Order: sequence, then C-alpha cells, then structure tokens
Amino acid sequence: MDPRPSVKLAFNVDAAAIVIALALAALIRLNVIPHIGW
Amino acid sequence: MSTHTIPVPLETTRQRPLWRQLLTLLPGTALLFGVGFAGKGIESLGHYLRSRHIPFPQVEYVLWAILLGLVIGNAVRLPALFRPGLATYELWLKLGIVLVGAKFVLGDLLHLGGLSLVLVAIELVLSLSVMMLLGRVFKLRPKLTSLLAIGSSICGVTAIMAAQGAIDSEEQDTSTAIAAILTLGALALFTFPAIGHALHMGQQSYGIWTGLAVDNTAEATVTGALYGDEAGRIAILAKTARSSFIGFVVLGYAVYWASRGQAQHVQNKALFLWQKFPKFILGFVAISILATAGFFTHAQLASLGNLSKWAFLPAFAGVGLRTELRDLIHQGWRPILVGVLGEVFLALVTLGLVFFSTHGALR
Repeated sequence: MDPRPSVKLAFNVDAAAIVIALALAALIRLNVIPHIGW
Repeated sequence: MSTHTIPVPLETTRQRPLWRQLLTLLPGTALLFGVGFAGKGIESLGHYLRSRHIPFPQVEYVLWAILLGLVIGNAVRLPALFRPGLATYELWLKLGIVLVGAKFVLGDLLHLGGLSLVLVAIELVLSLSVMMLLGRVFKLRPKLTSLLAIGSSICGVTAIMAAQGAIDSEEQDTSTAIAAILTLGALALFTFPAIGHALHMGQQSYGIWTGLAVDNTAEATVTGALYGDEAGRIAILAKTARSSFIGFVVLGYAVYWASRGQAQHVQNKALFLWQKFPKFILGFVAISILATAGFFTHAQLASLGNLSKWAFLPAFAGVGLRTELRDLIHQGWRPILVGVLGEVFLALVTLGLVFFSTHGALR
C-alpha cells in the first residue's frame, strides 16, 4: 500500500500542503471561514 | 513518512492531463475521509451511548480510525483504483502538521525544538552506530543495513526513499527496509501509549519521547495523539526536528558509498541538502511565526487548531489502511529482528534522554 520507488510522481506534496494551509489560514484570518469546530 | 510527492501509476501520468490524474485520486481520497469520519462518528456515538448508560468502549477517534483502516486494508483486497488516492494520506498529514504550527508560539518552538534538536543529535549517533553493528552481527546486506539505519534513525520511509537514489541500493532492499520500518511503526502504536501510562509520563515528556523514538512521521503523530492532544503536538514538534536532519544523514551515507565506488558522487552538496530537506517544515514554522506575531485572534487560532485535527483524520485512516500485516510474515526474520532490537535500544535510550534532560521539568 505504501509508495514504491518505481512510481511516477505527479505533484509535490510539501508545496501543496503549505499552499493549502496558508490559503485556509488566510480565509480564516479574513473571516471568510468564520469558525471551525471539532 | 513516505515520499515527498503523490504517486500516480506510471502509465496514467504519461498519457493523461493533470485534471484526469487528479481524478484518479478521488476514490482513494474519499475512502480515507470516509474511514476517518467514521472513526470520529464512532467516538461521538460512544459519548452518546455512555451518556445514556449504555456500555460502549471508551476509545478515542484516533484509534477507531486506525482500527477501521487496519480491518479494511487487511480483510478486503481493495481494488487498484483506490491506490493512488490512498497515497494522499501524506498530503493530509503534512497539511495537519503545517496547521498545527498555529498552536506553538515561537518561544515554545525554540525551547522545545532546541531541546529536541540536541536530543536528536545524540539519538542519531547512537542509533546509527547500533543499527550498523546489528546489521553486521546478523549478516544483513550492507546497503540494507544502511537503509534500516537511516530509516530508524531519521524519518522512516521518507529517509529510506531519499537514500535509495543516493546510495544506489537495490529495490528489494528498499522494499524490505520500508516494510520493516512500517511494521515496527505499527507495533509502536500499541506499545508506546501503554508504556507511557505505566510510567505515568507527562504529556510533554511522552510527546518528545514519541517524536524521538517512533520512526515514521505518520506513526509518530498517531502514537502521540493516542496519549493526548498536547502529547500529539509535542510529538510532531520533536519528530519535525528529527526530520530536519534527513539531508545530512543521507548525504553522509551517499559520500560513504561513493567513496567505495558503489554510488555516484554528490557534486553539489548544498543543493543535495536542500533537495532532501522536508520543505513542509518551513510551512509549520511560517504559521507559528504568524501566530506569534498576533496575526490571528484567539478564536482564529482555535479554528486553525481544529482544522489541523480534521486534516489528521484521513491521515490516521491512511496509517491503518496502508499497514499490511502480511508484511510481518513475508519480509524474512533477520531484517525484522535487527529492526526490533534496534528500535528497543532506541526507545530505551531516548526514554533515558528525555528523563535525564528534563529533570522532571516537563510534566
């Protein structure tokens, strides 16, 4: 189930994680997303 | 943790446009979220039933998500269309880690991160030495020993994958080392919390210990979260500090094997270090800096913290879904024995380091 060395890579996970996190943080900061509960 | 990029089957990436490649990720991603949300749902159901005095196991969502994933991943042969999407567990894990940076002010980051860095440096020297020694005693292939040493001392699967290209190891050795590290990580999920409770460890002590001793970032995160929210966050911090050493260790092994004529020489060492550095750590630090600078209100910080928990849900499910218990049987007894002995040594040494370094200050 884990990725093996022979697979082709589609996009960079680290960059995607940072971009998504910063985008979500911006939306929360701008109150576009007012509250996220748990 | 696994590779830095999401894998998609070779034939699909050559022929299909990006949007169709992303489409292939949907089934597995939906399964990850489905299992993760089911884990959270079962925990809520347990709260409801117990409030009505109906007996139900008091188990946290983290363990439910993992157990559901383990059952599905091992009892059912999942169709191939789920595989690309299941690999996105790594994206959700890293997204959760970056977002959890909001829960650390920079002072904590420097204090606990600095302490972790010192402990990591000691742990690295000891674990690399012991794994190399065990590999020789049990007559493992030298490059398999190198991979096991790198995987157990740094960052599990990511480090092994990073080293594989650098030391020109055989694919069989890489697969064996990955299987051994994942199996040992799965064992840590169930043993570490029990040991922590038996020793009455505080959240911070346990979190640092977990971050130092559990190999894979996903398993370290889960093993910490199983003990408590704070332990989970501290485990991430300590594990992140450990992961930052990945480039140096892999470079060391690359230079060693190149000097023996069994790997290519590294031309630009600074570029090599940058390429191997786990970049998501920069996002984690950036969010922490923003939080420290007062960029977010308290309510917004709470929202970011909750968002990280939601991101971890599919990642926890992925830990269960990708853990193949059959690997325990198929990988041979010597690599797993070397791994177990090395991990037990590592766990004991790091436990001692945590107690010694904190003098009971971290409770």
